[in-house]
Amino acid sequence: MIDFSQPTPVILSEVRQISPTRRELVLNMGPQHPSTHGVLRVRLTLEGETVIACDPVIGYLHRGVEKLGESHRYAQFVPWTDRTDYVAAPSNNLGYVLAVEKLCGIQAPERAQYWRMIMAELTRIASHLVWLGTHALDIGALSVSLYTFRDRELILDIFEKFCGARLTTNMMEIGGFSREIPPDLPEMVREFCRYFPKAIRQYEDLLTENPIWLARTKGVGVIEPEVAINYGLTGACLRGSGVNYDVRKAMPYLLYDRIDFEVPLGTHGDVYDRYLVRIEEMRQSIRIIEQCLDQVPTDGPLMAYESQYVIPPHKNVMTTAEDMQRHFIWVIKGFSPPKGEVYHAVEHSKGELGYYIVSDGSPIPYRLRIRSPDFVNLQSLPYMAQGAMLADIVALIGTIDIVLGSVDR
Amino acid sequence: MSEPRSLPATPETSPWDTTEYWGPTDPEQHPAVRLVRERFPDAFQEVVVFRDEVTIRVARPALREVVDFLRTHPELRYNHLTDITAVDMLYLRERPRFDVVVQLYSIPRRQRLRVKCGVDDGEMVPSLVPIFAGANWLERECYDMFGIIFEGHPDLRRILLPEDWDEGHPLRKDYPLRGYRDYVQPGYESPAPRIRGTLRRPGP
Repeated sequence: MIDFSQPTPVILSEVRQISPTRRELVLNMGPQHPSTHGVLRVRLTLEGETVIACDPVIGYLHRGVEKLGESHRYAQFVPWTDRTDYVAAPSNNLGYVLAVEKLCGIQAPERAQYWRMIMAELTRIASHLVWLGTHALDIGALSVSLYTFRDRELILDIFEKFCGARLTTNMMEIGGFSREIPPDLPEMVREFCRYFPKAIRQYEDLLTENPIWLARTKGVGVIEPEVAINYGLTGACLRGSGVNYDVRKAMPYLLYDRIDFEVPLGTHGDVYDRYLVRIEEMRQSIRIIEQCLDQVPTDGPLMAYESQYVIPPHKNVMTTAEDMQRHFIWVIKGFSPPKGEVYHAVEHSKGELGYYIVSDGSPIPYRLRIRSPDFVNLQSLPYMAQGAMLADIVALIGTIDIVLGSVDR
Repeated sequence: MSEPRSLPATPETSPWDTTEYWGPTDPEQHPAVRLVRERFPDAFQEVVVFRDEVTIRVARPALREVVDFLRTHPELRYNHLTDITAVDMLYLRERPRFDVVVQLYSIPRRQRLRVKCGVDDGEMVPSLVPIFAGANWLERECYDMFGIIFEGHPDLRRILLPEDWDEGHPLRKDYPLRGYRDYVQPGYESPAPRIRGTLRRPGP
């Protein structure tokens, strides 16, 4: 016998009652469609080849990450953030650890902050490369994906050198990094920075003035700036419409206020402008990484030490009694941040990624909310699809840059 | 033998305590707090500042008016709806059971603001969809996960869970972590064993 704790009110709105007329056709696209970037399902109402209604159906990858976060200790949740947006795992780590650090009132040392910025920008490039490859593949430019995935390997090699993992990196820790930076890593990153602008030129040679690409993207999926703000879009979807909102500039976290970079803005708000914005963002990321490498101190602590919220360094655990106690308590009991609630946002490759944490003073978050950017951005798909051609739907899904692990959480 | 040292205390001043974004540290001087208090003297309930984040609590029926006021007032212009979510306050207080949390951001003024309202089971929260189109899915998720009903929402149905999900709302605190049912994986005869006593919430 199932004991349901509360009845579920069933609300069926009028929108659900689809009654296609004789001229209309309801077409199901996904969740196993190759161009839906995962398990997105879109229910399209067509009249001829024109889309008159579009209803994205999500949740096929829902794992209850927020519920899991409310049953793990603070430090145990970091690997779960990798699994939300799995093509940009270090950025997710960064958003979560910054939120917890804000809640605890601690801050990572300067050297760790620079390396966090380097890793976050490398992640942005890697994520944009996956986006560019798959987006172009959907539209029909097969060869671009070969180039982008070739260059993404270089970034994954850097990640592997840094933390041993390539995809779900579990890279950042609360308080900084507990592993030392490998000595030849800065040179690896510099080598990548020297190489990558040439690679961007290759992608642009393939796409930017390609007449087929222009025909498929220009004037498609236009979002006006007012509409983009009203939908709560962030990231390239918002900046492609010309609205200047980048969390790195608007509310600088880490040390972004010491870095000189520009935020590219689109003018028309169509698929092509969002493509240009993301291409330019990759160039700016290279600029940021180069400045970080110039400014980062070559030695110094990588982990905050002065508080109870941070795991003590391994050497001290082995040599001093106090740190062994701290380590024991940190591992067995976790740590208890003060009561309160924080919201911290970072500029993820897809938009504003925010973590909202409510603490009741216990070692487990009372409420952990992930404001994932692509969940909110995906809401604009019905708006863009209204009146579009059926063949443009793949371009519209691609331009939002969704990862279903992050949409469904 | 020396005394065992206690854990290092949390520093008094946090590096996050900056006054860069909204000026005075006194929450009463915050423009949003001041103006909302003037405009809605009955609905305004309290203001809390923690780590430089301002949270105002308003009465439930006035939520839409307050958010619309914050959006349209020329001094405030909180024009970007960042997030809508809810918190099940079951273990923290008696009533009301939920807090609906609205995160607002002002693109021209670069400020965040959090607006909260309490809601009990069976009560309705005014929907923000007439003001922000982006509230649509966020409120649907809120309904899906907590069972909070938004009055005036055009299309309130489940979004992440299947539409015929009949086991309640999983982010409520009384919903068990592994659900109410024992799920049998295809190919197996019996459900996976339940681990007893895992992850009990320690007291604050």
